[in-house]
Order: sequence, then C-alpha cells, then structure tokens
Amino acid sequence: MRIQLAKQVLDRQIVDVDGRLVGRVDDIEFAVDEEGYPYVECLLTGQAALGERIGGRVGRLLVAVADRFTDEPPVPPLRVLLTQVDRVDSVVRLRCPVSDLPPSPVESWLRRHLIDRIPGAHRASG
Amino acid sequence: MRKLFAATLGVLSAVGGFVDIGDLVAASQAGARFGMAHAWVLVVGVVGICAYAEMAGRIAAVSGRAVFDLVRERLGPRVALLNLVASWLVTVITLAAELGGVALALQLATGLSHLLWVPVAAVAVWLVLWRMRFELMERVFGLAGLALLIFVVALFALPTDWAELGRGALRVDSAGAGWSVYWFVAVALFASTVSPYEVFFFSSGGVEERWSAADLAHARSNVLIGFPVGGFLALSLIAVATVAYHPSGASPDTLDAVARPVLTALGGAGLAAAVLAFFAVTFGAALETGLSAAYAASQYFGWQWGKRVSPREAARFHSVLLVGLLLGVLLLMTAVDPIRLTEYMLVLSAVVLPLTYLPILVVANDRTYLGDRVNGWWTNLLGALFLLLIVAASVAAIPLAIITRMGR
Repeated sequence: MRIQLAKQVLDRQIVDVDGRLVGRVDDIEFAVDEEGYPYVECLLTGQAALGERIGGRVGRLLVAVADRFTDEPPVPPLRVLLTQVDRVDSVVRLRCPVSDLPPSPVESWLRRHLIDRIPGAHRASG
Repeated sequence: MRKLFAATLGVLSAVGGFVDIGDLVAASQAGARFGMAHAWVLVVGVVGICAYAEMAGRIAAVSGRAVFDLVRERLGPRVALLNLVASWLVTVITLAAELGGVALALQLATGLSHLLWVPVAAVAVWLVLWRMRFELMERVFGLAGLALLIFVVALFALPTDWAELGRGALRVDSAGAGWSVYWFVAVALFASTVSPYEVFFFSSGGVEERWSAADLAHARSNVLIGFPVGGFLALSLIAVATVAYHPSGASPDTLDAVARPVLTALGGAGLAAAVLAFFAVTFGAALETGLSAAYAASQYFGWQWGKRVSPREAARFHSVLLVGLLLGVLLLMTAVDPIRLTEYMLVLSAVVLPLTYLPILVVANDRTYLGDRVNGWWTNLLGALFLLLIVAASVAAIPLAIITRMGR
C-alpha cells in the first residue's frame, strides 16, 4: 500500500467498524525490520502522543491536563496496530469495534466521576 | 411551509449568528447612527456564509466530516490548536452573552433582575442539550426565532418612507460620524454574519442528522433558505432602528430601547411578541454556541461527540459542554455587561476567521473527501473572493478597534 503518511494519515480521524470515533492519528510509530528497512508499526492516538508531538510548553500542558483527569498517570498513548486498519480514505477505518481496543483513561475517568452521576447519562437523546 | 420545516437547521444556525444578543443591539445601533448605509454588508455577508456553509454541508453529507475535523487535518495540530483556543474562547464568551440575553429577555417579561435569571437560563439550556432530540431542538428554536418577524410587521405600522429607506441602502454614507467608525461597524457586522460557530454548528448538525450524499439537496435548501432568512431578520432590525432613531441620532444601547419602536408601532401585543422573539433567538444562540464550542474541541482531539450516543459514551464531549456553560455563568456573575462583551468578541473572532474558512475551501476541492462533488469553478471563484474579504476584515479589525476606541 502506497500512501503519503504526513498528508493522508497524520491528523486523520480514526473510526471503528461501527462508525464510532476512536481518536485522531496524533503520531506514528516506526520500527526497523531485520534488513534495516523502517516500516510503520502502529498509529498512536491520545493527548499524550499529541502533546509530545506538539512539544514545548503547550505540549507539556496538554499532557499534564490528560494526566490530571486519570487515576494512574502518566497516560500512555493508545496504539492502533496497522493490522487493525481496514482502509484509509477521508478517515482511518478500523476492522474491529472500539471495544476491542483499550479504553481511553480520560474518557473513563470523566465518565466515572462526572457524567455517570448525572441522571439520564445512559440514554441517548438522539 | 414544508420547505421551511426542512430548513430549520439553517435557520437556527443563521439566527444564532446574525440576530443573537450582540446583533440585536449592534444592528439597531448601526441603523440609528448610519441609517441603512450598512445594508450592503449584510448582503455580502449572507452571500459569503451561504457559499461556505454550502461547502461545509456538502463535505458533511458526503464524507461525514465536520468543520473542525478539516481544520485539524489541513492546518496541523499547532495552528489548529491556536484556532481552537481562540474560537473556543470567543464562542464561550458569546455563550455567556447569550445567557445574559435570555436573562435580559426574562427581565423584560417579569421585571425581576436579570442576574436572578442567569442560573435558570443556564440550567434550561443545559437540560435541552442533555436531553432534547437534535431535530426537535432545531425545529423548536429555529421556528421560534422567526417571531422576530414582528420587526417587519412594525416596519409596516411605523410611518416608514420606503423610498427613502431604499435610497439609504444604496448610499454608502458615514452620516457625519467619521469613516473609521463606519468601517469599524461594518467589520463588526460582517464578522457577526460569518461567525465561525455558525459553520461549526451547521456542519456538525448535518453529521448529527446523519446526512448522506442523498441529502445534498436538503443540505442546500437549508443553506439557501436558512441564512437569507437570518439576514432578512437582521436587515429588518436595522430598518426599524433607521425609521425610529436615525433622524434623532439617539442610540439604542439596551434591549428595551431596541424593542421600543415595536411598542410604539404595535402596542403591548407587539412588545410581548418582541420579548418572546428576544427570548427565542438568544436561547437558540445559547444552544448553538454551547454545542459549537464542545463540537470544536471534540473534533480537534477526535473524541466521540454528539447527541446520537448516550452522554456516558461521549463523556469528554459532555464535560467540555458543562465547563463552557459553567464558565459562561461565572463570567456573567462578575456583572460585566454581556452586550459590551460580545463587541470585543466580534473583533477577536474577525482576526481568526481565515483559519476556519481556508480549510473548508481547500477540502471542498479534495477528491478523497468529495469524489466528483468537488467545487465547480464559480464556487471556487466566489469562495476565493470571499476569503480575500475575510482576510481584509481580519487585518483591519484590530487597527479599526484601536483608532475608533471600539466604535465610540
């Protein structure tokens, strides 16, 4: 598959097989095979990956905010293996549901400590 | 009528942008000071926002991507973050002003101080955002905003010299107030017709309604009915203020001064309708700005957002929504004047406008998103011309604000 990573993959929305929003491609992780050729190992998503990519004071602030809203800082980025990617068009589509991936720690924290405590949080308003 | 019913997303987007609390006063002041000399700004603004909302709606329908998706993809994380921070602040402060507007309308209706009504308004807005179905919300508040048509009715009851009104619209005249003030008011009016939160809301609303390529005609009729209706309402505010205040030079700077011509023309029933309209448009604008701020943040980070899923599945989206509302209430409780506040916001929002509109134009030409539904040459021409105008307005905004000391 020949694609331009920076133009067609980086910063794209990641969508699971049912159309749920998983995150954005905040960074890309490379590895090197036995013959010394670099290849894309996985896509990284999450505020930690984004913060490190932006760098500087702003980047550190993004990481710090994510770490504040979680039980076990530091929050690792979510790694999406290339084998889980179905195809890339205007979004990066996965071949699995979002429930197969580890949940976002910040989302879970806010759900537990804030949103779930409000009546009606379980029903979609549509 | 059925057409109007199908276009309520466009109507609500436009009402929240053109005739929200800041504009009720700003448009009336423009009419009082300069007569109809700013009518052309509204016309140009409506044409431009129609062009860009059509592109954003088409992108939403074909690819399911809303505007801040595109901003992040095209501008990269750093510049998009700058846009996010600026747009989020502008939108949340506008939200505060709208909550203040709802409270002021309730104060006009009940006589109780608006500070008492602010928390009530905020809770009511939050309840609608938490529970009401998106389509129902857009219908109720889009259509209720049309109560502002009472200003058109008032125009017929007032001793309106239509020929003079028409001539005034064709004459660009600084009315002795100085050209820098004239252009400051023009930039502020222009910025309010093309506020970024309108396209955030409109395109995200299209995604919420699950538009597909089959809904392109529906998207287009939303644009072509909704935004001109909003522009027409704003124009009627300017016209009423021109007829009622322009000769005397008095400047309506409160909500009841804006409504007074309607009271004179139509009596108590007219006033009641005007107050109802103020309530509806500010409430609608509060919903629009509250949602837009949360949409923009969620789309930048790629979080699950929207009213289609239960709040617990979009916990970060609903948390940002709550934070925005709380900040708005806190801001109002410092007893700042919400109407002055939106005037400053319009200047700030004018500066970041190109960062929102450029990515829309770029993606509207990208076949990976739109296939063969990319822009035609005339849409690109219109979009490019309009982008030049936006850049000119954004460059001029701050110098004009300083020279005229915010239009004094």
